[in-house]
Amino acid sequence: MGQLDYVILESDRAVVSGRVLEHESSGNAMLAELYRAHIADWPKFFKMDTLSKVGFVASELLLKQLSERRCGSEEYISNRAIVLFGTTASLCADKNYQETIQDIDNYYPSPALFVYTLPNIVTGEIAIRNHYRGETSFYVVEGADAAQMAFHLSCAFADDRTESVLAGWVDSTGNDDFKSFFTLIGKDDVEGLEDKIKTILNKTNI
Amino acid sequence: MEEMILKLKQEIIEVLNLEDVQPSDIDNDAPLFGEGLGLDSIDALELIVLMEKNYGIKLQDPAKGKEIFKSVNVMADYIQKNRTK
Repeated sequence: MGQLDYVILESDRAVVSGRVLEHESSGNAMLAELYRAHIADWPKFFKMDTLSKVGFVASELLLKQLSERRCGSEEYISNRAIVLFGTTASLCADKNYQETIQDIDNYYPSPALFVYTLPNIVTGEIAIRNHYRGETSFYVVEGADAAQMAFHLSCAFADDRTESVLAGWVDSTGNDDFKSFFTLIGKDDVEGLEDKIKTILNKTNI
Repeated sequence: MEEMILKLKQEIIEVLNLEDVQPSDIDNDAPLFGEGLGLDSIDALELIVLMEKNYGIKLQDPAKGKEIFKSVNVMADYIQKNRTK
């Protein structure tokens, strides 16, 4: 059973397939530090909410890691699906937005915060960045259940288009508190997928 | 007016989260949209909120934003003439 490459991104650590990335900061500052050190060409990053920042940085680190070994055709990459899971959804962005409308005497709803008050925006940010045109989903679930995740990820291959899925867990309970893992799944990885996901989950604090 | 322009640039950088951009990087006459700062439609809405929140200017016709946000100079001039706070 081949193991999946992965990225684990949590409030105070970043791991790419077992390799720990060095950083000096934590939380949101760590995301900015990793962005500057490893990505640096997408200024829209700074406008994102924490959930999208985590998903964006994690996906970028993973795709960078895989680029030498999984170069596919333009069509293969364009058809890629994105399937993510999490428990807190966009609650963090919801709270930040609510602060802008809490006081009737200081009522200035922020459009920039409002656009992130849906959890699936993170899938859109990643799809736009990578020119993916496949299906995108964000499942809000009670907890990280490898069997449940494997089931939904396997289903993503049921159409005659999807050949790979960028998958993972992304959860943010505060602007500096987050947990996530990302991996890339091909059709060949579906067999034994639950165990492969369990293996990654066991390395996280999720 | 120069002080007003500097303050406006600082406010734009803050509300639009223009990381790594300094006031001196923004040309007073350069278009805010389409090139340069790479602003989008959500940024335009944030600028409308900024004008209301900081200067008491309620833009009744959002389409007017296209003219007002032509450059920092044009925006500052509009604020100077229409501010209520």
